[in-house]
Amino acid sequence: MSTTWERVIAERRHDILRRWQEKGLGLFAEKMSPATPMGEAMADAMEMILDGFATGDDLPREGISRLARILAVQSFRPSRSLSVFTALRDVLLASAPDRDAAEVCRKRIEAMTFEAFDSFMEHREKIYQLKVEESRDRMYMQLRRSVS
Amino acid sequence: MSKYLPKQSELVKEFEEKPSVLKGDYEGREWWEMPFEFREGNFCFPAKPEVIKDLGFPNPRKWQPTDDDWKLPDGWQKILKDAMKERLKKYRSLKLYLDSCVRCGACADKCHFFLGTGDPKNMPVLRAELVRSVYRNDFPMVEKILKGFAGARKLDEKVLREWYMYFYQCTECRRCSVFCPMGIDTAEITIMVREILQLVGLNNNWILAPVSNCNRTGNHLGIEPHTFVQNIESLVDDIEDVTGVKVNPTFNRKGAEILFITPSGDVFGDPGVYTMMGYLLLFHHIGLDYTISTYASEGGNFGFFTSNDMMKKLNAKMYHEAKRLGVKWILGGECGHMWRVVHQYMDTMNGPADFLEEPVSPVTGTKFTNARATKMVHIAEFTADLIKNGKLRLDPKRNDHLRTTFHDSCNVARGMGMFEEPRYILNKVCNSFHEMPENTIREQTFCCGSGSGINAEEYMEMRMKGGFPRANAVRHVREKHKVDSLVTICAIDRASLPPLMRYWNPGVSVYGLHELVGNALVMDGEKKRTEDLREDPMAGFEDGEEDED
Ligand code: SF4
Ligand code: SF4
Repeated sequence: MSTTWERVIAERRHDILRRWQEKGLGLFAEKMSPATPMGEAMADAMEMILDGFATGDDLPREGISRLARILAVQSFRPSRSLSVFTALRDVLLASAPDRDAAEVCRKRIEAMTFEAFDSFMEHREKIYQLKVEESRDRMYMQLRRSVS
Repeated sequence: MSKYLPKQSELVKEFEEKPSVLKGDYEGREWWEMPFEFREGNFCFPAKPEVIKDLGFPNPRKWQPTDDDWKLPDGWQKILKDAMKERLKKYRSLKLYLDSCVRCGACADKCHFFLGTGDPKNMPVLRAELVRSVYRNDFPMVEKILKGFAGARKLDEKVLREWYMYFYQCTECRRCSVFCPMGIDTAEITIMVREILQLVGLNNNWILAPVSNCNRTGNHLGIEPHTFVQNIESLVDDIEDVTGVKVNPTFNRKGAEILFITPSGDVFGDPGVYTMMGYLLLFHHIGLDYTISTYASEGGNFGFFTSNDMMKKLNAKMYHEAKRLGVKWILGGECGHMWRVVHQYMDTMNGPADFLEEPVSPVTGTKFTNARATKMVHIAEFTADLIKNGKLRLDPKRNDHLRTTFHDSCNVARGMGMFEEPRYILNKVCNSFHEMPENTIREQTFCCGSGSGINAEEYMEMRMKGGFPRANAVRHVREKHKVDSLVTICAIDRASLPPLMRYWNPGVSVYGLHELVGNALVMDGEKKRTEDLREDPMAGFEDGEEDED
């Protein structure tokens, strides 16, 4: 990651986070309060993502996974969920010092969005897996009898 | 009065500073205009027509909440209004709860469904308002009394759909009531609405199929008596494999001192069966004279989530069977709503059970005076008393492979006030126990998100959201204390917390309290123990090298 973004985010971290988190919490039918467990968990995940964006070349997978896990069970559509990354791009671009930095930002956000899409889908699949596992657990003794 | 009630100054501050639907901050819209939509994952499937017919309930038909036409019976409004009137007359508490809300908002952010979804109609105050707004319309005098509270609306199909959606997004957990300065119990309103919705055929298959099964064969899965016995005998074999001890439960034995009743999930499901193994070991350890009934083969009672009459009918078999078998008293296993029914309704509903005796522990001589009316003792009280009197030989090191925390089940914690007994036991049977944050345990406990019969697979997304506050508290102790085992004393929790953990906290497993008791019990004639009841290796006991005290 370019040192430019490291510097920009170090300087404006609080403001960028506040604006991005505001948009993230605004995804819900009526804005999710930041003081709720869900609001806090989202804010933590977003913080991890922003810090990952600022400091490393590796994608902030843990933060992305945490955010996708929350979004994958919400009743709004997947496109709305993933729009949280476009929101981050818009917030960051407003602070981009030059065209090169803007281009780096776009590329990076694009990679993060793809990663988030994969993670979102993995969590959707997890939901279906849980349904199967739950039915199996519920009928545990019956299934055991049927195979013995 | 609850110590969690907010002070007046706090309420005023909250009202002035926080945005609130109650203050009309929603730009010219009434709160009920906020849209809602039935989508995959936010509704449970309605009951199948054959299930409804079996039960003799109204309006059996095939339908889905996503259908345009819900195939309601003619005159459905009148059916519901009459039913509501009847219940307002019958249950004074209900009228009080509808009349006395002062819209202070103290309950607003206390519901796990609101916290998990952010949907304002999941605020307890608005959930109740879904009914109150109709009540005001139909009872104009009420509006005069409650002047200043606007919002009366007709009972039309949109309102009905809203009722169906949001009263199945309440698990009747009563967390909100702990914080209400007026003592309003929104769960009672949910219970009433669900009951009257049945009258026009709006229901839930995950509730009514077990009700129908219970009605027919005595338990939720509809398992016949011989299969019920075979399952337990198979667990007896498992116990022998792990411990070398042959336990000997009896079934339908007349003249036994005690009748033991537990939810059928303990006999059929994973991980409930390991808790059952724990009970069987415990009873063998103390030489208890007990029997298990294949008729009263279900402690759970989904009638409670259906109607008062159905709850009463399904509960009646407990006393019937106790009388038929001539036992002295009843011992009940780990369950949540079973205990709400037993503790709060059974005596007046199907009692008095004068043919039973005031329960006395045959091992310690302790009189369970708190169970004088119902004649039914909770297994956690029974076991805690045994431990307190030094009657159990326990080796807590046998649970050293587990780092535990405890989830208070809503019905046992808030419904019975039982907080200490399970913790006392847990601390005696394992060495690593860490509490979740204070505002998430005991009377403030968060629901698993799946109680009151909404534990359906198709409802998984909503359950993950409703269960999020609980899962988040578990995450806290997982990160802080490396907790990997969530212990609980409720059969629905044992079924619903595993998927909740697998989703939010992978690596955390769910255990029944008596499973851990079973692990820790040092049995006469046992072989060297290396595995717990799940056949997982016990730490420090590899190769059978148990370090004796
Ligand atoms: S009873 Fe529980 S689920 Fe229902 S409104 Fe109150 S807090 Fe929410
Ligand atoms: S239900 Fe109770 S806590 Fe909630 S708004 Fe009404 S009075 Fe206040």
